Amino acid sequence: MPVLFSFRKIRLFLSKEIFILPSRIIAFFFCLGLLVLPLLIKDPYLLRIIILSSIFAIFAASWDLLSGYTGQMNFGHALFFGVAAYTSAILNLRLGLPPWITIPIGALAAVVAGLIIGIPCLRLRGPYLALATLAFPIILMGIVFTIPGITGGELGVSGIKPLARSRILAYYVCVILMMGLGLVMWKIGDSKTGIIFHAIREDEVAVRASGINTTRYKLLAFSLSGFFAGISGGLYTHFIRIAGPSTLEVSLSFQAIIWAIFGGVVTIYGPITGVFLLYPLMEFLRIIPEIRTLLFALIVIVILLFMPEGLTTWIRDRMEEECPRCKVRNVAWRKACRVCFADLGKRSSEGGEHGV
Amino acid sequence: MIENILINGLIHGGVYALLAIGFSLIFGVARIVNIAHTAFYMIAAYFIYTFSTRMGLHPLLAILLSVVIVTLIGMGVYQLSIKPIQEHEITVLIITIAVAMVFQETVLLIYGGHFRGNPGLLTGFLEIFGVRVSYQHLLTLIVVLFVLLITWWILLRTRLGIAIRATAQDREVANLMGMNVHRIAMITMAIAVMMAAIGGVLIAPLSVVEPYMWLHPLVMVLAIVVLGGLGSIKGSLIGAFILGFTETLVVFLLPLGAFLKGAFSLMIMIVVLLLRPEGLFGVAFEEER
Amino acid sequence: MRGWGRIFGSVIVLLFIFFGSISIAQDIKIGVAGPMAFIQGQHHWFGAEYAVEEINARGGVLVGGKRLPIKLIKIDTNEILNVPDAASAVERAITRDKVDFLVGGFRTEAVFAMQDVAMDYKKIFMGCGAAHPELCARVAKDYNKYKYWFRVTPINSMFLAKVDFILLGMVGKIMGMELGIPKPKVAIFAEKAVWADPIVAAAKENIPKMGMEIAGEWRPSATATDVTAELSAINASGAHIIFTTISGPMGIPYAKKWGELKIPAASVGINVEAQKKGFWEATGGLGNYDTTMNTYARVEITSVTIPFYDKFTAKAGEFPTYNAGTNDAIRILVNAIEKAGTLDADKLVPELERTDFYGAAGRIVFTKDHDVTWGPNFVTATGTQWQDGKLMCVWPVNWEGITYKGAVKYKIPPWVVEKWKKK
Repeated sequence: MPVLFSFRKIRLFLSKEIFILPSRIIAFFFCLGLLVLPLLIKDPYLLRIIILSSIFAIFAASWDLLSGYTGQMNFGHALFFGVAAYTSAILNLRLGLPPWITIPIGALAAVVAGLIIGIPCLRLRGPYLALATLAFPIILMGIVFTIPGITGGELGVSGIKPLARSRILAYYVCVILMMGLGLVMWKIGDSKTGIIFHAIREDEVAVRASGINTTRYKLLAFSLSGFFAGISGGLYTHFIRIAGPSTLEVSLSFQAIIWAIFGGVVTIYGPITGVFLLYPLMEFLRIIPEIRTLLFALIVIVILLFMPEGLTTWIRDRMEEECPRCKVRNVAWRKACRVCFADLGKRSSEGGEHGV
Repeated sequence: MIENILINGLIHGGVYALLAIGFSLIFGVARIVNIAHTAFYMIAAYFIYTFSTRMGLHPLLAILLSVVIVTLIGMGVYQLSIKPIQEHEITVLIITIAVAMVFQETVLLIYGGHFRGNPGLLTGFLEIFGVRVSYQHLLTLIVVLFVLLITWWILLRTRLGIAIRATAQDREVANLMGMNVHRIAMITMAIAVMMAAIGGVLIAPLSVVEPYMWLHPLVMVLAIVVLGGLGSIKGSLIGAFILGFTETLVVFLLPLGAFLKGAFSLMIMIVVLLLRPEGLFGVAFEEER
Repeated sequence: MRGWGRIFGSVIVLLFIFFGSISIAQDIKIGVAGPMAFIQGQHHWFGAEYAVEEINARGGVLVGGKRLPIKLIKIDTNEILNVPDAASAVERAITRDKVDFLVGGFRTEAVFAMQDVAMDYKKIFMGCGAAHPELCARVAKDYNKYKYWFRVTPINSMFLAKVDFILLGMVGKIMGMELGIPKPKVAIFAEKAVWADPIVAAAKENIPKMGMEIAGEWRPSATATDVTAELSAINASGAHIIFTTISGPMGIPYAKKWGELKIPAASVGINVEAQKKGFWEATGGLGNYDTTMNTYARVEITSVTIPFYDKFTAKAGEFPTYNAGTNDAIRILVNAIEKAGTLDADKLVPELERTDFYGAAGRIVFTKDHDVTWGPNFVTATGTQWQDGKLMCVWPVNWEGITYKGAVKYKIPPWVVEKWKKK
């Protein structure tokens, strides 16, 4: 970004980097819309829904960073969320630390948890890993119930300071963090590390054969993912003002997977889209409370039957394609690549190869 | 004490085995992690509740009807929502979670969140070495053993069983040998769901019938199949009894920690995985790319 | 991705429509918050409906010379499954449905979150489901913020424990007298939950003082569904009484196996499932003689108890459990509104604090922490026993000079008598 706010530079940035791809245009307007929304509508309930969506968007995206990119299926993602939630809550309650300290510490605790389960689980593969990770939050739940003096047992830890003084402030904290962390995760996925993550998923033996220490990268993925999920857990605790066993439940882990797969994995923006569609949808369905969860499940099934790779992946593949030479994305109707001018003309049928 | 542990452990292990073997079968043959597996067990319990308690049918007829209907539902689910997208393993997984949610919510809609119970086929108890065992438990154990034996026989002695095992070993080669892999997957699904349904109708009188009754067994089944080695029938059987006995041991030796019996089972699973990443009897997946 | 924008757009538009369509209120809106798919929420709802039908039939609530009808708003909190959902639902009801008052709540973890939301908006919240003392301790700690919270039912868990021991003492005494057991052995059977911990701790201290002996302590998970192993162990321990503390679904298989295996120990304490009408069917009658503490019973606690009990049972097909206290809660609220002549929450709080009301659960007076007072001539709670398909009141009988009209004597299960009777 330009240091001096020259109007021309901003315009150039917008036209060269944003208004070049439909997906980026949508993302841009989505973010812009979120930022100006509270200026137009002050309805606390609507803000609450977007705050919770933002928090869970970080959570779902962090699952994608680990399981989508490296293919290390984590069925117990709620572990990170719960560890961070309890840590921030206890620190805030016992030591009176403010949220901006407790949330990062909670996230670090989640990283430690990520390493503790990551190290033994490194030897496990595929479904074994998935099912072993499922166990950890449940074991932790057992511990939570064993030491009710600290964790409050089924009551949870309550009496926590709110995230921010006003709802609008909390809104901006969560929304901006969601955008920022989303961007960071997306950049990680695009970086050299991200490419190695991809490669580990596709063919771990080959990656190892080319001299890369896959163990280290897998641990890195566990810690990074744990960190981001931890931040969402801390935000959640301070927003809802209680950290209870519901933050460790199997259903929360499954929820993250549903959001991510629904939106489309190995994208980061897919899970975020998934949450921002499905979470408000659940709220909207309150008009028919008896069948909201049923409708939710049916919608998920139908969409996934038509778009088995997720919603955003399906839509993206219809709007954009990848340049076969330089791997830069282009609008589907372009004839030549926008960067290297390679001919795209008749290769549109192969646009969907990415991320399979 | 020892006789208590022995008998209770056998009963727990038996029911778990029934559920775990079905789960393991369908995973082995079609590589489907079927989260909805125990949801079939749940709806079977509701069917028998409806048929016997609500409609007053003869218990045996109710059992038969429940098992058949649930098996048909299972085959329908496979045909409609799993088969079309079978290549996307992770999407299949989400679909099965969603299917389980659909079952749960439908049941909730129809029956509400009440805790229901169902009278057993038999009431009363028997004293074995001074331990009181209800007839329903004994019956459950006998049926479980019987079903396990039949499954064993089908898998080892029939053409179908050979086909199932061949597909489990190598789907592509089985296909090349002229087997209809999809049909075998469908049959396996039917067998697996049928076993879950039998589990459900047996458990309904022993436990509580409620819309969330599928969650705890699901976790246990996942732990068992991983412990025993995915896709290995023998492993699931042994794993089921290991965890069944673990739960019972915790209750008897550590009464204060009875609530930890699930956590203990999962810890055993993790310890086993640390020593043997492919479970007790699993095949190493190293070569499978 | 264009579809995305369209969906988001239409959601916003729809939200606007909702926002705009709220008319100027000419009624009093009371939000009933509970897990509506579950029995707890249903009891919240039926209890509230029962009160409101009567109040509206006599013309509504008299506020400043005008009679306003009450409109109930159903808030499905889904709290058993999803805690943030509960807080969102309450906020939605306050901001969108414009509820004036709240009643209900069940799962403590969720009630904490809902309480915070209600207090932020300065809405009076009459708790009808969570027993944890901390909910009212918050009133003492930060009066200005939490003064809008009142608990109508159940009695605070400390008093729950007290009643629990009185019941245990009663059974112990009867067993001592009828079977000649001088020092009955008691097995403590409590689900592993924080609300049960103080009861277990107190049990370990009190049981020896009460002239009984502890046979052992079992703590199955609150979500356990098969407790045969625990029961076998209790049988092996030679206990005469099982002191239960169960709120979860386990209450059904527990009672069923207890009756089926004829475990020779009387079962007394708290078993929430045994308070329900469906218990008899669910256990196939094997839960006969199980004894549990209760809030209501078909006895004359006050003059309104039996009519309420009968009408509720006819309507809901279930006996009222403590969650049906929304009935008393709404009547108390209406009394306060009529006396104060306003809907203003700040003016209603002092009026509510002066409450002295004869409700279906007994005489309700709030403590200075806005908790319901327990004791003789206040809300006492009851002890109920299943006797051949009927849930009978067995306590208070001659306790502090109180016997509710219609109460009967506790019966020891016949197989317990058979086992321990001196031959």
